[in-house]
Amino acid sequence: MARTSTGGMTDAQAQQRSEDIVRPEKPFNRFRWTVTITLLVLFFVTSATVDIELSQLAALPERTLFYLGLMYTPPDVTEAPSAITAMIESLGMAWIGTMIGAVVSFPLAFLAATNLFGKPVVFAARQILNFFRSVPEIVFLILLLPVTGLSPVTVALALGISSIGTLGKLGAEVIEGIEGGPVEAAAAAGGGRLQRIRWAVIPQVIPEIVALWLYRFEINIRNSAVAGAVGAGGIGTLLVRQIGQVREWAAAGTSLAIMVIITLLVDTISGRVRRRIIRGPTRAVDLGANAGEQPEGTGPGAGPKREGPTGSVGGGSFVPV
Amino acid sequence: MITFENASVTYPGGVQALRDVSLELGDGEFVVIVGLSGAGKSTLIRAVNGLVPLTSGTCRVGDQVVDAHDKKAIRALRAEVGMIFQTHNLVKRTTVLNNVLMGRLHRTATWRTLLGAYTKGDVELAMQALERVEIVEKAYVRASNLSGGQQQRVGIARALAQEPKVVLADEPTASLDPPTSHLVMRDLKSICRDLNITMLVNLPFLDLARAYGDRIVGLRAGELVYDGPAEEADENVFRDIYGRSLTADDVLEKEGSL
Amino acid sequence: MSAVPAAPSSRPGSARPDKPPPPPFVLWGSLGLVGLTLVLGWDWEYGIGFSLRDIYDNLGRYNPVLEGVRNLDWSTLASPTVLAGFAETFQMAAIATILGGIVALPLALLNSVTGAPNTFVYVAVKNFNSFIRAIPDLIYAVFFVAAIGRGALPGVLALFFLSIAVIAKLTSDIVDGIDQGPVESARASGASHTQMVKTAVLPQILPGYTSFALYTFEINLRGSAVLGFVGAGGIGEVFNNYYQRGWYDRLVAVVIGFFVVVFIVDRISIAVRKRLL
Ligand SMILES: Nc1ncnc2c1ncn2[C@@H]1O[C@H](COP(=O)(O)OP(=O)(O)O)[C@@H](O)[C@H]1O
Ligand SMILES: [Mg+2]
Repeated sequence: MARTSTGGMTDAQAQQRSEDIVRPEKPFNRFRWTVTITLLVLFFVTSATVDIELSQLAALPERTLFYLGLMYTPPDVTEAPSAITAMIESLGMAWIGTMIGAVVSFPLAFLAATNLFGKPVVFAARQILNFFRSVPEIVFLILLLPVTGLSPVTVALALGISSIGTLGKLGAEVIEGIEGGPVEAAAAAGGGRLQRIRWAVIPQVIPEIVALWLYRFEINIRNSAVAGAVGAGGIGTLLVRQIGQVREWAAAGTSLAIMVIITLLVDTISGRVRRRIIRGPTRAVDLGANAGEQPEGTGPGAGPKREGPTGSVGGGSFVPV
Repeated sequence: MITFENASVTYPGGVQALRDVSLELGDGEFVVIVGLSGAGKSTLIRAVNGLVPLTSGTCRVGDQVVDAHDKKAIRALRAEVGMIFQTHNLVKRTTVLNNVLMGRLHRTATWRTLLGAYTKGDVELAMQALERVEIVEKAYVRASNLSGGQQQRVGIARALAQEPKVVLADEPTASLDPPTSHLVMRDLKSICRDLNITMLVNLPFLDLARAYGDRIVGLRAGELVYDGPAEEADENVFRDIYGRSLTADDVLEKEGSL
Repeated sequence: MSAVPAAPSSRPGSARPDKPPPPPFVLWGSLGLVGLTLVLGWDWEYGIGFSLRDIYDNLGRYNPVLEGVRNLDWSTLASPTVLAGFAETFQMAAIATILGGIVALPLALLNSVTGAPNTFVYVAVKNFNSFIRAIPDLIYAVFFVAAIGRGALPGVLALFFLSIAVIAKLTSDIVDGIDQGPVESARASGASHTQMVKTAVLPQILPGYTSFALYTFEINLRGSAVLGFVGAGGIGEVFNNYYQRGWYDRLVAVVIGFFVVVFIVDRISIAVRKRLL
């Protein structure tokens, strides 16, 4: 058996060759070891020092099952209407917030794109976007509350402000992925910067950017639960009250189920719309007028499709570097 | 119409793409530039509308000096100079008409273009330009739904919508098949003749250059090595331009005329 | 305006088309966008009552936040509660990221056609992941606080589920996009499904996965800010405390401190992730 691997060489020949060519040692992967050990140390140090009582940990499985039991044997469906109303309020906060973020981030995305503006402008725009990305929703919310009051509108504002950063950054990446040719063509026709952006850049990026809005809406539906932290309305507030304050577990079971179902439903619809937006119309509007000239846009998977640095927004993913 | 005087271009990386080129093109002339890839053909063409600034020397269109750094003046000049690109450079996600209307950008108030509120006259001009290249029936079709040859005709219409005095074409046939290449060249030639537009065209293929050019300009490593009527551009001239004898690769149709 | 004369026609005649109506998808999409905004933004039973006027009017009122900004109390940043809050936020984020990352890797692999052994597992795991993702971290937190009491543990659990949601989603998307060549050659050489995943899929997704895990640490740091509001530990407890009492001079100082910490961690993490990818 061993013979086959040396291709029928005699032992002497094999010997000879292994003296000529030194087999390398398996290299020591320092990076991997550093990461592993760091993580292990980090994990044990933090676990040992964090303020968690073992009794809590021990009670976790049993308590979890017990309260899930209270929620779902059976859930109190008479509470469903109020949960649905609260969920609609959450959707409202998420949608209006997303629209606020969309409007404000739109110009910023262009200013942050290196293929449109010079270094100083791009740098300034990126710092602004980074700021909005680094601050969590709850912080915007508690800083806005004393001014605009404890209401869903304030939550929408907080969600909107914190959407500016991500929408602007991902939008800028989409813009940086465009074809430069049409922009050059607009310049060659004597178009100014605004005109070039309007006619050569925006038509190329608008589907992806609208898809980003929808994607952000999906995220903001979840983020709108932040209202529950301060009691500003929506399904988050309802659940925090039912679970954390009045402990109506069976009613909470209904609310939680409704929240999950509607969230997933909206995800599904929004995801379909996003894919359709990016794919463009599948059916070519006009076929075969010129024999011998094959339209480019009619084959399978036709229509403009770019894998920009953000990955496929249509597939519902983005690479957040 | 177009005058180069001792024009040189050195790119930031240090590549000297044009060396001391002097050249004069008359009104309504159809001039073809030939040369190896990297000879400086695109650079020469882009110098005319200031997409590439000259490092030294001057270029004039009519009696106006091309100054790429005077933004206002260069935009006005570009409005008079149409350009056709190798890769068509259409915005694929919008309609053919919107693409052609890009040719009207400089003549239209910015607020109008931003809103897309083009005047009736602009739309009429765009339609006429599309009729000229016989593709008007596609006016409201997305550009992505057109074939390569159709897209190039839209590119030509966009240049025509500018009502240009000069049209530049940078390898307009490079992404097309041979029959379509001939169609596009025929369009360009008839436009040049009918509208008395000066045309400066880069072509990679010798048979096309000889078939359609009135005059051929040869570039080699940024230097002008030939300038004369198309019919006088024989085997020896091409050896000068290409630095070697002709091979079948240098013609569009391999069994071509040369 | 000089008209462009028509060429002698060599191609089939072409007439000017009428301007078609906008495509239904664009039309209905735009109407939907505007309609939803009106319905959900209007001041009625199912709208949140968004009004720029109200916001403008409110801006003119007494503003305790601006008052706090004017009298920032930096000394609060050095107080033991605040320092403990920051430390706990770090601990919670680290533990949750590590545990969540470990659990998310198989979930991500099984959430893709290539990584799942069969359609049943694929569909089951996909739905499980969607379910986990549909519940916000604050709701996990309030549940676990109610079930086992206040402290860092419910916070860790909330961030643990958040980490799973984020890492599994992002990673499974790159599993879907890997080069199929190695997968085929592993199969061709008779590898079992697990062997194939280990030798052909894992090496391709490992850099992305590691990068997402680091990114999730950033998310967890930010996410921990809200958990303290329902008693799930971390710096959020400090935020909540100062917010409830209206101590905006201290609150804004801590917020700025938190922002600086998050910003620095982000920068480091982004630098590391750039090297990974
Ligand atoms: N933007 C640029 N920056 C640096 N060098 C360039 C640039 N464009 C072209 N060049 C160089 O200038 C030379 C001439 O290029 P070009 O005019 O495009 O030639 P052609 O069109 O004849 O192929 C080539 O060596 C090319 O590499
Ligand atoms: Mg070229």
